[in-house]
Amino acid sequence: MSHQSPPRWAEFLLKRLLSARDRETVTGDLHEDYAEFLVPRFGRRRANLWYLHQISSIATRCIREGGTVTKLLFLTSAVTLLCGCWLAFMECLLRHPGFQTRAAVALLIAAAGLATLLVRLLHLGVRNERWLWAAAAALIGLGVFSFLRNARGAHFEGFVFVIAIVIVLQGLLMLVNLGRRSHPGRTVAGT
Amino acid sequence: MTGSLSYAYIVGMADLLGTFEQAVLLSILRLGEDAYGRAILRQVQVSLARSVVAGAVYTTLDRLERRGFVDSRLAPGTAIRGGRARRYYMVAAEGNRMLADAQKTLAEMWQGVKLPVAVKS
Repeated sequence: MSHQSPPRWAEFLLKRLLSARDRETVTGDLHEDYAEFLVPRFGRRRANLWYLHQISSIATRCIREGGTVTKLLFLTSAVTLLCGCWLAFMECLLRHPGFQTRAAVALLIAAAGLATLLVRLLHLGVRNERWLWAAAAALIGLGVFSFLRNARGAHFEGFVFVIAIVIVLQGLLMLVNLGRRSHPGRTVAGT
Repeated sequence: MTGSLSYAYIVGMADLLGTFEQAVLLSILRLGEDAYGRAILRQVQVSLARSVVAGAVYTTLDRLERRGFVDSRLAPGTAIRGGRARRYYMVAAEGNRMLADAQKTLAEMWQGVKLPVAVKS
């Protein structure tokens, strides 16, 4: 029997999604199916696609099984990621004076959204929570600053208003999430 | 249906297992001693006659275990799975009771119903 393994990066991703309790057993199950059934029958390429599909199903369940706070946090993070990317893109496209600084801030906002998604989904960096608290506080600060500046400015921009609120919400949800998180080792996805 | 009856009916339905949960529990019962994650996934696919993703099965197993409907134990893994442990599942007494309740409720719901149901025009 030929012994084939899923791609290392995919297995790493799967392990990060799973709680400590399920890490060995679930990756073992999928490894077994991959090597014993899928690769011999469908070839490595289709087996890899199947493996990725299973990872995405576990990630989706991780979000679905999470509580309201977790779902809202995923939603706000996705919104800030998209808005940050859009703002940076538009700033670079329009090139108004001082666009570099604004594009950099927009990219920072996008990075905060992406980082939150990665931290919550893949449990990256959770061993050192201090920087997460700092990031949440920074997000709230940035959101409040943008909100006030936009409100006092000569030209009120609805888009900035919405992003500022979402950023503050994301920061608050991060604080709630950090505060209530205990041990992530029970559920499949650890949420 | 009277008020008290409908209340009891709704409360009873809320306690019932979902179709997927029943499929997972019945797969564990069918597999007996061989009920571990991968085997359950395959058995559920056979039972439901459709493709089922791993995430659905593992989260359901996790939920059933938290509710006390299944128990699990770890066993050593084989070479094909890189030596990783297997988690074997068994239906707990509470799970058996819930399955029996679900079966009974469904039987009561279907009592006196004949398909195809005549539709009045």
